[in-house]
Amino acid sequence: MTPRPRQRPRPSLATLPEHLHAQREPAPGGELRLRVNLLGFERATGLLRAAGARFVTLLLARTPEPALLATFALRGDLVTLEAPTERDRPVVYGSLGAGWPAARWAEAELVEREGVQPVGYESERRLTAPDADLLDGRLQGLDVFQLPFGPVRSGIFEAIQFLIETGGENVPAIETRPFFKHRGLEARFEGRDPASAVHVAERVAGIASVAHASAFAHAVERALGVRPPVQAERWRAVHAELERIACHLDVVAKQAETTALSVGQARFQLLKEQIMGLRAQLCGSRFGRGVVVPGGVRAPGAGLGLAELAAALDRFEADFERDRRLFLGTASMLDRLIGSGRLPRELVEEYGGVGPVARGSGLSIDARHERPYGEYRRLGLRIVTERAGDAMARVAVRLREIAESLRILRQALDHLARGNGSLAAPLPRAGTGAAFGWAEAPQGELVTWVELRDGRVHRVRIASPSLRNWALFDHAFPKDVLTDFAFIEHSFGLSVAGADR
Amino acid sequence: MLAWILRGLAQGRATTAYPARAEQPPAGFHGPVELRDPDAGPAPAELALICPTGAIAVSAAGAVELEHRRCIRCGECVRAAPERFAFARRHELAIGGPSRSLADQAGSLERSIHIRHVDTGSDGSEEWEIQALWNPYYDIQRLGFFLTSSPRHADILLVTGPVTGPMRGPLERTRELMPEPKAVVAAGTDACSGGLAGAGGLTAGGVDRVLPVDVYVPGSPPSPIALLDGLLLAAGMPRFEGRPR
Repeated sequence: MTPRPRQRPRPSLATLPEHLHAQREPAPGGELRLRVNLLGFERATGLLRAAGARFVTLLLARTPEPALLATFALRGDLVTLEAPTERDRPVVYGSLGAGWPAARWAEAELVEREGVQPVGYESERRLTAPDADLLDGRLQGLDVFQLPFGPVRSGIFEAIQFLIETGGENVPAIETRPFFKHRGLEARFEGRDPASAVHVAERVAGIASVAHASAFAHAVERALGVRPPVQAERWRAVHAELERIACHLDVVAKQAETTALSVGQARFQLLKEQIMGLRAQLCGSRFGRGVVVPGGVRAPGAGLGLAELAAALDRFEADFERDRRLFLGTASMLDRLIGSGRLPRELVEEYGGVGPVARGSGLSIDARHERPYGEYRRLGLRIVTERAGDAMARVAVRLREIAESLRILRQALDHLARGNGSLAAPLPRAGTGAAFGWAEAPQGELVTWVELRDGRVHRVRIASPSLRNWALFDHAFPKDVLTDFAFIEHSFGLSVAGADR
Repeated sequence: MLAWILRGLAQGRATTAYPARAEQPPAGFHGPVELRDPDAGPAPAELALICPTGAIAVSAAGAVELEHRRCIRCGECVRAAPERFAFARRHELAIGGPSRSLADQAGSLERSIHIRHVDTGSDGSEEWEIQALWNPYYDIQRLGFFLTSSPRHADILLVTGPVTGPMRGPLERTRELMPEPKAVVAAGTDACSGGLAGAGGLTAGGVDRVLPVDVYVPGSPPSPIALLDGLLLAAGMPRFEGRPR
């Protein structure tokens, strides 16, 4: 008899112990809040982890009561542990990041910015106050040197630093240093009414404006119990999928550039330019800004008829298909991507990776599917995954997702053409409440916490897919050499602005 | 490889003729906000409050003034007072600053202008639009603009973002290393004035709080054509003739 492969525990709420269930708090649909105390916080986290939960974020809430929140994704639910805190007393609890890499950076931000005091927390440097000139002197082996790469790099790149330890070829260690771009945007939401605060959301990660505006709007709507009209949800999906196609094409074009595949680069850049042009025609902004507002959408497709948009997408797809096939048949390109920057599935799980990075390592994590929102409840979305976990897998996921986005775009356009009705629901004037909202950004699952008091935004915390995935970058060079750097970086396809906020 | 070359050739010429010919954005484009009718009568003082970045000022007599360098094109004013404000259907809005050293001596550069980019805290969309200048449609190299990885070769410092604390030093150092004459271009409303990130503890509130700026290109983000127009102004090169002045 062959031994049966050991089965992973199926993640499920049912595997949680009784006493946690007894602590359920009322929460908007799709969210589950469990009340614990600070003493039991770490232990409850361990139980959730054992039940197969994926860490999402850790934050301090102020509404309705001050509390420490830790949020996890568990089988189609967003599960939040909520431990009440007292206003003038330090928030002391057992460190989550000490034993769970996925929680490390989120906890470091809370320690450095908000002064929480996790017991057992250790840190060698301040994550949120980077210094461009700081090396760290721990070198492993002879002839190894440290190369600070960034924050100003050659080409047109966002500011981030990588402290690369290398002997010239191998890369024994790499340290990703974010937060050079920290603008304090979460505080800029505060005091605005939701319709005005969405302008801030759109500028957290400019290349994922629609996703950020949507996650923020979803949170506001859930906190206030408002359902946006169906036609509005359809338009949100149209703009979100156009954004995804543009972001994915950007990654493919940059991969072609890195191999000096000039015509391929030019072709994918032109395809991206086509999509950017369509977005500008649709709504006046090449980045889909101004469309999503809490409660619905605003002027989502004034400049282009639905039939014209569908025809333009058909032409785009025919073009894209030919370039995609050429790309996948170009050996010089594939040779650099296959096997580069391999991330085993277990590692991605341990770090809570999301988006194409996770899907490239065989994890079918996608907020549109795990916790369907808006139009995605009605679209038959197929999740694209690849198993290899290398740069090629991450690029292949994106190439296949472009085709999938086009397919569901056509469905959404069809639904739009047959539907009618209003595009926005009114928000209560002086609403109070707090909720999470989420959306699948092109970079991965985005979760936004919003607190409202008397109709004004009181507090916002953003769990950005980019920050969670950057934490994996330090481990993306197991057998790779320094010249693979650019391939691996582009295959992650992340936004620095979104990570740093 | 041959397949790629044939594919490229089969597509024909993709490049715009700008600035020799016009580039008009589609109808409804969020171009620069303009005052429609300066004689629309005195404006109420509250009008200034609808702008989330304080780009609108109303004088005691009710005269309205727009500070383009603060505008993020969110359209709040266009929706609230369509009789006074409108999005212009054009890309160009480059504003010359006090420092003009490169433009005045540009003859010596002979259409070989090297650009060094520094991000000081953009939202990332500005980088996309700058990168787009090197795509086959805008193809900025046909006009003699090149990217350089060394500040020693750079003529233009193209800065995005409102200048965060940790990026202030790297920005200043990059400019110091550039030879004279040099120009600083602030790309995007964040770089021009801080935008929604604002001035405060975390950002300087615009590049000109740290360095003298030659050209401001507002926009959130500015489109590739708007950026191209700003670079032409910084380099003292001919811009599109028919642009509104």
